[in-house]
Amino acid sequence: MEIVTSILAGLLFATGIYNLLQKQLLRIVIGTTLISHGAHLFILTMGELKRGLPPVLTDGITEYSDPLPQALILTSIVISFGTTSLLLVLAYRTAKENNTDNMGQLRGTENE
Amino acid sequence: MIFAVFLPLLFALFVPYISKIKAKVHTGIFVLIIPILIFLYFIRFIGTDFSPVTETISWIPSLGINLTFYLDGLSLLFVLLISGIGSLVVLYSIYYLHKSERLGHFYVYLLMFMAAMLGVVLSDNVFVLYMFWELTSISSFLLIGYWHYNQRSRYGALKSMLITVFGGLSMLGGLILLSVVTNTTSIQSMIAMSDVILNNDYLPLILTLLLLGAFTKSAQFPFHIWLPDAMEAPTPVSAYLHSATMVKAGIFLVARFSPIFAGYEWFFIIVSIFGIATLCWGSYMAVRQTDLKAILAFSTISQLGMIMAMLGFGTEVAIFAAVFHILNHATFKGSLFMVAGIVDHETGTRDIRKLGGLLTFMPITATLALFGTFSMAGIPLPFLNGFYSKELFFDATLHLNEGTLPITNFLVQIIPYLAVFGSIFTFVYSLYFVFGVFGGKKQIDQLPKKPHEAPIGMLVSPIVLVLGIILIGLFPNMVNGTFIAHAAQAVSGVPIEKDIYFWHGFITPFFMSLAVVGIGFVLFLTRAKWAKVYHAVPGNFSFNGVYDWTLSKMDTVPSKITNTYMTGSLRLYAALILSTVFLITLGALLLTNGFTISFDNLAEITVLEIAVVTIMAVAAIATIFARHNVSAILILGVVGYGLAILFVIYRAPDLALTQLVIETITVALFLLCFYHLPNLRSPNEQTGYKFTNALIAIGFGALMTVIGIAAHSSKWFDTISEYFLETSYKLGGGDNVVNVILVDMRGLDTLFEIVVLGIAALAIFSLIKLKRNKGAE
Amino acid sequence: MSNLAVLPIILPLLFGIILALTHNRIPLSRFLTKTFTIINLGVVSYITFRVFNQGTITLETGGWEAPYGIVIVADSLAMLLVLTTNIIAVACAFYAPHSLSERQEKYYFYPFFLLLITGVSGAFLTGDLFNLFVFFEVLLMASYGLIVLGGDKVQLRESIKYVIINLFSSMLFVTAVAFLYSVVGTINMAQIAERVQEVEQQGILTTIAILFFFVFATKAALFPLYYWMPKSYIVPNPVVSALFGALLTKVGIYSILRMFSLIFIHNIDFTHPLFIWIAGLSLIFGVIGSISTNNVKLIVAYNIIPAVGFLIMGIGVFNEDALSGTIYYLVHDMFIKAVLFLIVGVIVYVAGTSDLRKMNGLINYYPLLGWLLFISAFVLAGIPPFSGFIGKLLLLKGALSVDEVIIVLIALISSLLILYSIMKIFINGFWGEKQESDNIKLKSTKGFMGPIVFLLEFSVMLGIGAEFVYPPIASISEYLLNPELYIDSVLKE
Repeated sequence: MEIVTSILAGLLFATGIYNLLQKQLLRIVIGTTLISHGAHLFILTMGELKRGLPPVLTDGITEYSDPLPQALILTSIVISFGTTSLLLVLAYRTAKENNTDNMGQLRGTENE
Repeated sequence: MIFAVFLPLLFALFVPYISKIKAKVHTGIFVLIIPILIFLYFIRFIGTDFSPVTETISWIPSLGINLTFYLDGLSLLFVLLISGIGSLVVLYSIYYLHKSERLGHFYVYLLMFMAAMLGVVLSDNVFVLYMFWELTSISSFLLIGYWHYNQRSRYGALKSMLITVFGGLSMLGGLILLSVVTNTTSIQSMIAMSDVILNNDYLPLILTLLLLGAFTKSAQFPFHIWLPDAMEAPTPVSAYLHSATMVKAGIFLVARFSPIFAGYEWFFIIVSIFGIATLCWGSYMAVRQTDLKAILAFSTISQLGMIMAMLGFGTEVAIFAAVFHILNHATFKGSLFMVAGIVDHETGTRDIRKLGGLLTFMPITATLALFGTFSMAGIPLPFLNGFYSKELFFDATLHLNEGTLPITNFLVQIIPYLAVFGSIFTFVYSLYFVFGVFGGKKQIDQLPKKPHEAPIGMLVSPIVLVLGIILIGLFPNMVNGTFIAHAAQAVSGVPIEKDIYFWHGFITPFFMSLAVVGIGFVLFLTRAKWAKVYHAVPGNFSFNGVYDWTLSKMDTVPSKITNTYMTGSLRLYAALILSTVFLITLGALLLTNGFTISFDNLAEITVLEIAVVTIMAVAAIATIFARHNVSAILILGVVGYGLAILFVIYRAPDLALTQLVIETITVALFLLCFYHLPNLRSPNEQTGYKFTNALIAIGFGALMTVIGIAAHSSKWFDTISEYFLETSYKLGGGDNVVNVILVDMRGLDTLFEIVVLGIAALAIFSLIKLKRNKGAE
Repeated sequence: MSNLAVLPIILPLLFGIILALTHNRIPLSRFLTKTFTIINLGVVSYITFRVFNQGTITLETGGWEAPYGIVIVADSLAMLLVLTTNIIAVACAFYAPHSLSERQEKYYFYPFFLLLITGVSGAFLTGDLFNLFVFFEVLLMASYGLIVLGGDKVQLRESIKYVIINLFSSMLFVTAVAFLYSVVGTINMAQIAERVQEVEQQGILTTIAILFFFVFATKAALFPLYYWMPKSYIVPNPVVSALFGALLTKVGIYSILRMFSLIFIHNIDFTHPLFIWIAGLSLIFGVIGSISTNNVKLIVAYNIIPAVGFLIMGIGVFNEDALSGTIYYLVHDMFIKAVLFLIVGVIVYVAGTSDLRKMNGLINYYPLLGWLLFISAFVLAGIPPFSGFIGKLLLLKGALSVDEVIIVLIALISSLLILYSIMKIFINGFWGEKQESDNIKLKSTKGFMGPIVFLLEFSVMLGIGAEFVYPPIASISEYLLNPELYIDSVLKE
């Protein structure tokens, strides 16, 4: 299964990157979100999947799944959330301020 | 001695105050004390029983960089020139520069230069030498740009800086190599280890780098182009830096290091070729100039070439003559620059075409010029020092060492002829200079000012120098044993005993001199007729043109290059970055055989998982094709919720919960922000773009998958998680291990995760708020 | 006493929070910021002094023993950089009120500023790879806050590129951490080092190393990953540019230095020549960029690239001289980049434009500014006796002693062009005629000069006083070449 999730995570990266390479701001933001999903899936996969129960200690059980990646993903999810929200607002403001949501038109000249 | 070097710098600190407080008195009067003091200090060392003196102050001993000052014959010659000519130049400048000029600046730069130049000739430590070397370039830059409101001054200043700092840096490269090879930073120690250097593979590189430094500084062909433009500096500066001292730093460097390279044939070949080429080109071009200072500049170039060539010859007589000529050149060229300054000052122009017949107006100046030019021309008169060194030069060209390489022997054959060629033109421009200005018919109406003799104060310095010419000419052996011999010994490494006579008999050098005088005189008289040759050589070509072309390209080409990729397009940036990362990481993967895959330790695959994975995959791909904002955002939500379900399946309940909550908020935010924006357009780019995008995306995704699989297949160690499971309850007091890790074991992460959220909130707030305020204003 | 190690992180965090609360009271915020940065500098100086005298201080946060909890490792390298950071912070704190608009001050400049310092210090100090990621996020998030401050069109446009590229590299960062965790089963840097050594960095590890390299190289603005940098660094306020130029790219370099001197050192023949290539190309394209423009801010921004080129070159050469050179140059460059951005900020302020072609004769009105720029140019180009020279000398010596001649020649030519790029500002902008008309209103540069002179003094002292600075730096590079020292200080008490 780890191979399957690795492929899925890779696919999330690929679709994320494809969106990232587009011109429209919304697509770009969608791209970054997909990439962060891919990253989180990779972290989870890198701990072993489905070896034992959720890491909530219960008497008599010794097999648990790896808790550390889970903790890391939690931190990372929250951080991505913060960044994504900022990016969203920024994208929205940029689009409004510059009257375009097309990054192809958001290039700028040398002396401003 | 160390104090003497830093004295000008120390004094320079006070100059701005002096120039402000004592505005009524010319600042130069105070400054004059400094070079005189230094001169008096060093003159004590002259004597037949002179032996080198070393003084050291620790600076950065752990890097081997110490202020080690080494005074031998060569440096003594130079320090006396620096302080002696320096005194005369400062004296001259008092009359040359009006009080309304920014004198404070001028003298600060001049003192800075003086200290730097003293440092260059006295330093035994290569890096200290380099430091002072660059400081001379910097002060020269500032002095050339002294009248910076003139475009020509700025141009000249930049040019001199670019060329000399380029040389300085390449010299630095050579010096570092030398210090790596010899493991010392002291020049004297390097000289002692010359066999190590000569047997090192880097020898050609070291030599090239060092010589680049020397050639650029001493304005050797084809790096000479900065010197004529340096004439934009006030004339005292030209006399001082750009003829008597700074431009001789390159000569000094070659002289200083020549004991190391003496046995190396390429040293002879390169230095001689460049020296002779400079001699010929400089004197040839000098005849063509119309600006008095330009004539002198090219003449300086040519004379420097001659000295350089002699150092390249490396024979005893050549070194002796080189050292002797350094002194002689300083005397006659210094005086001629001052004469040019006087003419400029009193007539308002330096254009030789407008000048003429000034003899009657300025008889003293004219006399001085006559001595200076005749000495420079090498006219055989017993009271002109220039003749002696010129004759020694001819002598040296006739007694070159044979070598093993064919080119050496070829050079040995032709150098005497080239020497005569260069000297003929030297003769021509010398006469051209003196008769063009002081002889011929008067053209008073052409002059901006009515000419008259200069004030006596201005004449003192050139008179002293001309007296020098005559005294050395009459009693050459007065400076010989006490002074020149020591310097020559420092260069060649062996004592050189040489008596200087005026009359040697009817030997070849004498006939060479006669040829120079004869042919030169004819050429001078028929100048108008043969001046056409300049249309053929150099014609339209000039090395200046090459420089200007390079500089203009430096303004345009880099921006063309940069603008090709710095387009401001995020897509291009991302594509370039991603493909770089992709290619090099893939390369690493392949080259290190990083890929492994093992099927041993895998979780089983269930139908439910496959279903979720498939849905997620389809949704992820669907985001690319979505046409409406809302649908795209919802499809994205599907991926997020899918991930939450995967978290549930993979025994991560906390994660699933968090993911659910956050996905919901994110989707809401997305909708909030993008509901009002234009709908998604189909990616209507060219297929080429689409293709590269897809290629990069798929390639990168696949690479991540491959690395992921390989990483998962290489679990070589137990994870530290065992510890967390063991201690979570015992030490952390919680059953939920993930929670204990978050709040306790890795509490720092969580703390700063909250900080990140907090900053994000503030940033979002200020983004929105700043806009509102703008609307309100 | 090992709690000391966390102070450089916790103090600015607390100060930042306090300033977030006082954001509406601008005079108070200004005063507090100045006070806080000075207090912080005092504390950091003390810790640095202690670390250099008594050795590395490690702190196992929450009392969880390494390698399980997060450790803070205040070693000499980290403290040197934290100290430099805080010196620059003081200068920026004094410069900021003159340069910012009240609106910018009000909308959280000061909290963002201190939290940026928090993130940067944390990144230098942490001994845990995932925690490094978290601190990266702290400093990035603070930088996002700073870069959008003001919120005009251009700024937003460049900020969004900056945010997106950094977001991507952050995601790559966590993924790489996950990969590495899978292989070595830990995220404590010392333990990773130990385990990578045990398996001699075989298999996939070098590939993961390269991935890490690119993550940090993107932040460090190395060739060919720097495209996002120049323009996004010039759009915010000069004081923000100075902080970015001095600190952010250097955190990337620090991370590369740490990773490739501590962990990934068992396949040097493969990884490090790559660095030298990248160094050469960064030097070339960086200087080409810096002479390609007439925008004075952009000239300085492009100059960041050759500087990181120099830094990575030392890591690539990887011997004692070269590493000392890198560390020396790192500290030097932090100072001089801050100085240059601050100076250029004033130039743009007084000239009213950033276009060099529209400036002329400024030295007639602002002599001090001109001479500060003049000195900075030589400091930057590495002309002795200033600080750049010592670093460059060590780098070149290190490179030549392992026969890397070509990179040395490139470095020398680059130095010339770096000098040219700054002197262009001096010659074209400062030299020239005094304007005749009376309609030139002189703008007061009071308040700007103090911080600039303050920082420039350090640059000069780093060169002239090299005897006091070099031995500790040489000891750092010796320490870096013996990674077991780091490992022991964390894992064996």
